Amino acid sequence: MSGQRPRRAAITGIGVIAPNGLHADAYWKSVREGLFVLDRITREGCENLPLRIGGEVRTFDAEDHIEEPFLVQTDRFSHFAMAAAALALEDAGLSRGEPDDPYSIGVVTAAGSGGGEFGQRELQKLWGQGSKFVGPYQSIAWFYAASTGQISIWSGFKGPCGVVASDEAGGLDALAHAARAVRRGTGAMVVGAAEAPLAPYSMVCQLGYPELSTAEDAERAYLPFTTAARGFTPAEGGAVVVVEEENRAREREAPVRAVVAGHAATFTGASQWERSREGLAHAIRGALDEAGCAPEEIDVVFADALGVPDADRAEALAIADALGAHGRRVPVTAPKTGMGRAYCAAPVLDVAAAVFAMEHGLIPPTPNVFDICHDLDLVMSRARPAELRTALVLSRGLMGSNAALVVRRGSDSAL
Amino acid sequence: MITTEVTFDELATLMKKAAGITVDPQELTQDPDRPFDSFGIDSLGLLGIVGEIENRYSQSLPPDSERCKTPREFLDLVNNTLKAGA
Repeated sequence: MSGQRPRRAAITGIGVIAPNGLHADAYWKSVREGLFVLDRITREGCENLPLRIGGEVRTFDAEDHIEEPFLVQTDRFSHFAMAAAALALEDAGLSRGEPDDPYSIGVVTAAGSGGGEFGQRELQKLWGQGSKFVGPYQSIAWFYAASTGQISIWSGFKGPCGVVASDEAGGLDALAHAARAVRRGTGAMVVGAAEAPLAPYSMVCQLGYPELSTAEDAERAYLPFTTAARGFTPAEGGAVVVVEEENRAREREAPVRAVVAGHAATFTGASQWERSREGLAHAIRGALDEAGCAPEEIDVVFADALGVPDADRAEALAIADALGAHGRRVPVTAPKTGMGRAYCAAPVLDVAAAVFAMEHGLIPPTPNVFDICHDLDLVMSRARPAELRTALVLSRGLMGSNAALVVRRGSDSAL
Repeated sequence: MITTEVTFDELATLMKKAAGITVDPQELTQDPDRPFDSFGIDSLGLLGIVGEIENRYSQSLPPDSERCKTPREFLDLVNNTLKAGA
């Protein structure tokens, strides 16, 4: 009965807009098959920039999901966020509009940069034509908080809302924030992250990152844990999940797909990759501790997999430091090598993949990575069948944040 | 002298362009007192329309034009201003 079990944060819906799939099911199918979709960046105005390879979301039509007035007001990154939110709500069987208790559902998103494409367009009008030609929605669309606000307005959900601006690992921090809100009394949270970094101004902003891969050849651009590692490839897209109080979900007979069990985050400074070893290990220990989870219980690790030699080494060592002997045996995977890193959305996409992996008893492979130089059991070439009860998702940001999240399989959650 | 006047047709086009709201111009003509907010246009949306008109006719509209509640009120204000400035 309600109230007799402790409040737990269940995942009851998943929405994905990714370079390899415009729906969570399509995304999982691509991830499971190890589909490789990195390719030349084709968006207008990007052709002559020294960043060639990316994970583009192609054939996406925001109008399939969201009414036009919201699209006029928002940047592409919010289009991804709102579409993913609409898909997540649909998956969870929750309706929007005028909910019975609008204050029982909140929204939290993470974003790394905001609406660069929209902002560029309006700033070009400012300097090209004059201030009177700048549209009023510039005031909100560029802002990294725009997605949370627009999802809240669009859905009518007026519960606790927030925006996490904590670097790439913010995707996991947002999930933790949502789980805490649910444990504190909120009925459900719509939570996730979306990014649209493949537009001219946004790409120029990234060119200063020493970790960025400027490879010309998609097959050689993003090869974490290998001797050929030369940086990461950016991607666009987003993932949103519904995190719901478990008893509430069971009462309305919604499937509990997974439980957000533990999280911790640390900070070790920008581009200090050797130091991220200690920071990431500490985050893993903290997440396990909060989840009440022994290292041996971790059945799969979704790695951050930055693709920078020092960072890869630090991550492999952090896994060993935190999980002990189990760290060398536990299967590790990085599906993002097939589609790129969508900044804050990357770890949320990994959480989505982790939920599907646990449901299907299948660890997806690390696409296009075949020969690694670290002491890890990296799943390569094809998906590996395994009984999966608990997954560990790792994320690090270029500015120095490290985060770890433990998710448990839903079917075990009634225990 | 050519007197310019913003019509309901033009307003409907601007509502689509500046705020993404699709509305039949006939509807605006027949019910010009139906409030903007019932179409989903808030003050930011109307501010975008104000900017479009100002740029198109090279004339400033009065401050707070975006606070007009209905298409009739808005077009009266716009057309009186354009007439006075012509």
